[in-house]
Amino acid sequence: MSDTAVPDVGNSDANAAAAAADAMAATLAGGADERLAYRGVFQRLFVRPEIGAIVGAAAIWAFFWAVSREFGTAGGMSSILDVSATLGIMAVAVSLLMIGGEFDLSSGAATGTFAIITILLVKDVGDLGGAGLSLWIAIPLSLLFALGLGWINGMMVERTGLPSFIVTLATFFVLRGFKLGFSKLIIDNLTVGRISEAQGRGYEFWEPIFATVWIRNEHQLEARDAIYTIGILGGLALLAFAVAELNFARRDKLNPGGLPIFGAGVAGVIAGILYMHNSDGVSANSIAAAIIGVAGLAAFVGFCMWRYERQEAGSLQLDASVSKLLAAGVIASVLAMAFAVVFDVDSQEPVLDLVGALRWPFVIAAGAYAAFRAFQKSAGDSNTQSQTLINVSSIAAASAFTMYAFMFMTTEQGLRSILFGVTMLAGLILLAIAAGNAGRNSPITRGLVLTVFSAVLVALAFFIRSQSASVKFRSELFSVLLVSALVFFVWAVCSTMFTQRRFQEAKADGFGTTLAQVGGAAIAVGIIIKLLFTTQAELDAGIARAGFRISILWFLGFSLFATWLLGRTKFGSWIFAVGGNKQAARQVGVPAARTKTQLFMIVSVAAWLVGLLLAFRLDTVQSVAGNGLEFEYIIAAVVGGTLLTGGYGSAFGAAIGAIIVAMTKQGIPSARWNSDWRFAFLGIILLTAVIANNFIKTKAEESR
Amino acid sequence: MKNMRWLAMLLALVMVAAACGSDASTEDAATGDDDAAETADDSGDEAVEATQGGDLTFHMITHSDDGPFWSVLKRGAEAAAADVGVELVWQGSNNDAAVQAELIDAAVAAGSDGIAASLPNVDAVAPGLKAAVAAGIPVYTLNSGANDFQELGATTHVGQTEVIAGNGAGLRFNDAGATTILCGRQEPDNGALIERCDGLAETFNGTVISEFMDLDADQAAQEAAINAALAANPDIDGFMGVGPVITMSGLRAADALGRDLVIGGFDITPELLDAIEAGEVLFTVDQQQYLQGYIPVILMYLENTNSNTLGGGLPILTGPGFVTGDNATAVKELVAAGTR
Repeated sequence: MSDTAVPDVGNSDANAAAAAADAMAATLAGGADERLAYRGVFQRLFVRPEIGAIVGAAAIWAFFWAVSREFGTAGGMSSILDVSATLGIMAVAVSLLMIGGEFDLSSGAATGTFAIITILLVKDVGDLGGAGLSLWIAIPLSLLFALGLGWINGMMVERTGLPSFIVTLATFFVLRGFKLGFSKLIIDNLTVGRISEAQGRGYEFWEPIFATVWIRNEHQLEARDAIYTIGILGGLALLAFAVAELNFARRDKLNPGGLPIFGAGVAGVIAGILYMHNSDGVSANSIAAAIIGVAGLAAFVGFCMWRYERQEAGSLQLDASVSKLLAAGVIASVLAMAFAVVFDVDSQEPVLDLVGALRWPFVIAAGAYAAFRAFQKSAGDSNTQSQTLINVSSIAAASAFTMYAFMFMTTEQGLRSILFGVTMLAGLILLAIAAGNAGRNSPITRGLVLTVFSAVLVALAFFIRSQSASVKFRSELFSVLLVSALVFFVWAVCSTMFTQRRFQEAKADGFGTTLAQVGGAAIAVGIIIKLLFTTQAELDAGIARAGFRISILWFLGFSLFATWLLGRTKFGSWIFAVGGNKQAARQVGVPAARTKTQLFMIVSVAAWLVGLLLAFRLDTVQSVAGNGLEFEYIIAAVVGGTLLTGGYGSAFGAAIGAIIVAMTKQGIPSARWNSDWRFAFLGIILLTAVIANNFIKTKAEESR
Repeated sequence: MKNMRWLAMLLALVMVAAACGSDASTEDAATGDDDAAETADDSGDEAVEATQGGDLTFHMITHSDDGPFWSVLKRGAEAAAADVGVELVWQGSNNDAAVQAELIDAAVAAGSDGIAASLPNVDAVAPGLKAAVAAGIPVYTLNSGANDFQELGATTHVGQTEVIAGNGAGLRFNDAGATTILCGRQEPDNGALIERCDGLAETFNGTVISEFMDLDADQAAQEAAINAALAANPDIDGFMGVGPVITMSGLRAADALGRDLVIGGFDITPELLDAIEAGEVLFTVDQQQYLQGYIPVILMYLENTNSNTLGGGLPILTGPGFVTGDNATAVKELVAAGTR
């Protein structure tokens, strides 16, 4: 968390005010300060600029996981990360520049430029150029070129006062011309190679730094799945405790009565896991799962009893705002399952032609609309809940039609998936909204709605297990649904029993944040180990080769560096300041021109890094390399929550945005869809992301 | 301060102008020297024998960008001119249809003895070429224009049609025993590339999946997209890239997955030739652009001196020629010599 240095939202004036407030909070934070209202863990997460991107990334991944066979595999992940890495390094740098209020349209062409410069410097072609230098000289020299390009871009923007859009558009064309011109002039070819000609001149040293590939199939670790399971479960548990610590009010005095329950629960979970490990078969697994579920609930409730303040549960108030949405949610869920039963899962028969296709969703949408109008009339009001119902069902009908018509899912099987998926999702969303509304009535009301939500998830899990044609859904999705159901039920119980904290408390915040970080790290380690290593069993099954490139590490490192730069340094605050309001920033002593020039230099150095990654990876580079990719960088930054107008955004979000763009690129061939639709898909993702980010930003400003 | 700004901008302008100027002039000088040397040498030998041909002047007016592809074509035209002892005026328009149209008008006005033109943009150059035909000048089209040359009244067209090239590739894949081919395109909406895949599907006995696999400008993403498509469909046992860069991306993706594919490609790059030599790529389709320069000059010569016409109103195809493991080494030497 970077609360002290980075304001979450707002233009520079708001930033300055927020920074002052945060600084005050830091100085005052000796103990609990009751004057400072506490926004709660979810509200605090909600106003982060990157939250929309994270949720979006999870949704897109889940979507492609469901429709393709590659997304859940190590090979699929390696391809996604491979594309994300070079795109992401640039997107992160570009997001810093965009937060600083400028664009760099030369950034795409620059990646290829520095690759070509480096290769031409090491190439020995005689008279015209191709100096035949050692990489020890060529690499720093091309870095100098990169710094120079950034400096020129920055200086020209500052000195001419022209929009950076125009200035860097000009540098883009110049670079594009230089790439073509010099390639042809020096080696008379549009394919510039090879950097491996620098063998004996530093190639052996630099090649592993930029081009190492970790071949998964060559690294076995039989303990992999154990580490993975422990990492994920332990991490989730830590995250749960972190949420409790951040969300509930601590007792003045600990209640030892909770400890035995906690201990018994933990023992139960361990016993359940051991039982599952040592036994076999579906029924034994179900018994073990039930034991783990109940014990986990007990452990968590025991922990909370020991540590947190109890509260009055209040009385049950199922008013119209809750009951209507609750009923609609349950009905939609049941309807979804009915669709899945009625339509034949094995049928590849095209059920409807395109004209018919227009009819069906229309009939469904019209029917739903009429039903809700009638429902609304009988309730005798025209309040927001009815509006919510209509909105959710219209969106559901529209998405169903879109999928049907544009993704060519025109068989009975396809129609079944669409109707089931969309209706079920609509049902769950309605229930989630109901839970949100119920919280305003009383804790017990919310607890009840959350319990219903959890019950629907359990029903869904078993329904999918019995009905789905896909093994992936019957096993993995089943487990995920059951775990989510448990999480929601635990939350239902605990949010009913314990008091939500209303005030900041430095100790609890610090401890909770640490817990969350350790938990997140444990989950990450579990996933990384699972991705990097294979097992004998997998090899025996003939699993496809998968390799992870070192560029992913560069991407990770650069994203962390940029996040630190933006969040923890004075330079980071200057970036927000010059992007928000340059004049105001100048007046308070921020060196605006220098900051912007340095941002342009960061972008061109990132382009240099990406250029070297490309050169060592491909050995030969095309003179067109990188041309036109600058818009992908901007898209990734915007999808990641960076504002086009500057002054707001997140480097980490841009990294996630790059992963989203990479997933949309990889998802279409993975799902074996027609690639003609790829750009339409990218456009829809971009539009959705911008609308969602805008919505979040508005909400964030409201909550301040 | 304001003066400084103007000064800086002026300086920048001058520098850019200087850079462009020197770039262009050195290149012209370089190629110019070559031409001069070559024609001087050759005409020295031929001038004595060539009695009729020596008076003829042909114009080859194309959309050439002087890139590696066109420089081979140009060498073919120059070699033919030297072989038959005619004067050849080579004029490239760097993809600018208006410039090409002006050059054609000028050639007609100058009373050319034969005009060979490429037709990337028929509408722009059609009036000039029709005027040439009306003036009794032999007109040939080359490289692009297979569908339009008849309408213009050109004698014939020398080039490769995309569909026929794809047909040839399909037969090669049949021989190699492939059953399902991924035909990867490096542009989403380039009709010529789509035709190559369509041509492949016409003659290939199995299934052809024609998909856009990201741009040449983003080779990492191109490779990853092919990787995803291969992983998603275990039946794929062949890959055709409709350009040299995407062909190499396909090879890298197959290697990364450990899949053994039959790989074919289009056009020639040094790295693709290396891969063919090493047996990693089966073949590449070569449209033999040297012939597209050489043949029209010969045909114009024969039409002028002997009233011969070739082609019977149909195009003369220079491709598909194939570079395979059998001739890759020889082709490599010819590429170095600048004739392939």
